[in-house]
Amino acid sequence: MRNTILEVRDLRTKYITRFREDIYAVDGVSLKIEEGKSLGVAGESGCGKSTLALSLMGYYFPPLHYTSGDIIVNGRNITALDPDTTRKNVLGKEVAYIPQAAMNALNPTRRIIKFIQDVIKAHIPEMSKQEVRELATERFRILGLPEKVLDQYAVELSGGMKQRTVIAISTILSPKVLIADEPSSALDVTSQKMVIKMLRDLMEKGYIKSMIFITHELPLLYNVTDDIMVMYAGQIVERGSAKDMVFDPKHPYSKGLMGSIIVPEPGTRELELVAIPGTPPNLKNPPKGCRFAPRCKYAEDECLLHEIKMKTFGEGREYRCKFSIDYLTEKYNNGKS
Amino acid sequence: MSGYRKYFTKKILWFAVTFIVAVLLNFILPRLMPGDPVAVIVSKNAQGMSESTAVIEMYKQYAEEFGVNDPMIVQFFTYFKNALRGDFGVSFSQYPRKVSNIISEAVWWTVGLQLPAIIFGWLIGNILGALAAYLKKGFDKVLMPVSLFLSSIPAFGMAVILLVLFAVKLEIAPTSGGYGFDMIPNFSWSFIRSIISHYQLPFWSIVIYIIGGQALGMRSMSIYELNADYVKYSRFLGIKDKKIVSYVFRNAMLPQITGLALSLGVMIGGALVAEIIFSYPGLGTTLLAAITMADYPLLSATTLIITMMVLITTFAIDFVYGVVDPRVKAAQIDS
Ligand SMILES: Nc1ncnc2c1ncn2[C@@H]1O[C@H](COP(=O)(O)OP(=O)(O)OP(=O)(O)O)[C@@H](O)[C@H]1O
Ligand SMILES: [Mg+2]
Repeated sequence: MRNTILEVRDLRTKYITRFREDIYAVDGVSLKIEEGKSLGVAGESGCGKSTLALSLMGYYFPPLHYTSGDIIVNGRNITALDPDTTRKNVLGKEVAYIPQAAMNALNPTRRIIKFIQDVIKAHIPEMSKQEVRELATERFRILGLPEKVLDQYAVELSGGMKQRTVIAISTILSPKVLIADEPSSALDVTSQKMVIKMLRDLMEKGYIKSMIFITHELPLLYNVTDDIMVMYAGQIVERGSAKDMVFDPKHPYSKGLMGSIIVPEPGTRELELVAIPGTPPNLKNPPKGCRFAPRCKYAEDECLLHEIKMKTFGEGREYRCKFSIDYLTEKYNNGKS
Repeated sequence: MSGYRKYFTKKILWFAVTFIVAVLLNFILPRLMPGDPVAVIVSKNAQGMSESTAVIEMYKQYAEEFGVNDPMIVQFFTYFKNALRGDFGVSFSQYPRKVSNIISEAVWWTVGLQLPAIIFGWLIGNILGALAAYLKKGFDKVLMPVSLFLSSIPAFGMAVILLVLFAVKLEIAPTSGGYGFDMIPNFSWSFIRSIISHYQLPFWSIVIYIIGGQALGMRSMSIYELNADYVKYSRFLGIKDKKIVSYVFRNAMLPQITGLALSLGVMIGGALVAEIIFSYPGLGTTLLAAITMADYPLLSATTLIITMMVLITTFAIDFVYGVVDPRVKAAQIDS
């Protein structure tokens, strides 16, 4: 068996708003990633994907607060560390982050190389500026980024170049886990491809040991990650291999989500574009039982009564639904005819 | 780089055009004022003279000397030619002193008062604004309303308040002048002390006037920067908070430099008012005297010098700003 790089057990975090309301945006998430593997996270806007990304860093500042759960990176539980240790030894070094809005992620008045120096100095103070430059030059060269970018300011870079620079900076310390929050969604197709290729290169060359890739563009996920996890209202509702999840989703929400996109694969007919009716629940007080029940066309009264646990089935697959797989499969087949 | 050069070529052209327009306006406007300044001087000098022909003769002589008989256009070119050489003619009101002498004396009082006051007020205002954004809570709750209050008092209001409070009521500061009226400028200790004590009220009235507006501007800039995406990203890269705070304040401070450039004209205007209220011997007071005495040459020259000071500083700040802030440089190249 491969090494487990990241294991998350029942992680809960919440936002405390200015009006002292709690918003449970990550509510009991568990996951596991092995060395060399990548995991995609999909879900509608507002389901807590970005919050999950931030929560996995183990470093919290208002309005986001840690409630409970464990994050184990390479055998060490980082939720037990004090913030400054996390800052110095975990962030960027063990777990690295690529923000959703990478366009504005760089300090506009600092040259890229200076910023990289700041990053490295925060973790390895003994490294000289010369060494930092050599490392950065080498890394940029391998990742196919022009070396002159190092001496430029963020404002002088194009959107795609900024995004790739951010990726190179985030991974400069060869982290164990890279969490990429929609790293390509604001880019044109060519730049998207370059970003994906770059992330693959990072994995292949061993600069990162595992990756979590967040997006709402499912076809893209199919080509990029090994596994896919579907998130709804702060919880995971289904997990499986990318192939299973795209072609044979089981949870009604995943089904709806997959159905709302067009899978550009040869052999599959174009699926109809159907949006899931209704809107995600307000995370201030989510439904007590199944959170998807109010929007689910198979839901029964009982769905709303009890909290539903994740159930395993098949090979490494899990789902969160009251109904059995057979029951759901039958329903889906009936619906088609 | 060529875009950058183009930007500054354009700037210099604008600068030249503004300069010429300023000279023109400075020449024309005072001459549109009612009153015959030559007559004023003649009547002053002719006191006690009874013979009207002598007075008329004297009038003609002065009119000749001041060149007021020539057509306007000729007067303008003479003025322009001389102004370029730094010669602004002879003052009507302080005849026969040369305008350039009067100005070169007053300008140092103004620069000595305003430059430190504006820079000091700007710095303190920015530091307070940054602190309010960073510390929030109580500090912000006090600073915000105070700054709002200060920035909404006009320049002369602050001067008058200080004057009444410290000079009239408490009598701990002199009411007017640049030094004791009974003193002759020298390097003695008592003279320097007199200069310092006369400096306080005009200085602080300008400083306080500037602090309010600058603190408000810096506060909102800092709050904006503190919430910028790069702050969050830097945090998650493990960069220390101290370093991130230095990014934030640098980035918030830079636009404040334009704020300084833009409000410089207003500031100098306000500061001149402070000079007038305290009868400080600078350009403001000179300007007022020139206006009341219908002294065109002095008036034109004073306003021209003030315009030039504002123009040059604005231009210099714009240039420096592009050099220190890559965001602005990018914008300058684009435009
Ligand atoms: N700073 C915040 N303060 C309070 N609530 C927040 C904050 N940020 C996000 N939320 C709430 O948390 C929930 C999850 O938001 P999150 O940004 O994680 O969603 P997301 O899945 O990343 O959506 P998107 O696809 O639009 O990026 C939402 O209901 C949102 O309103
Ligand atoms: Mg998001």
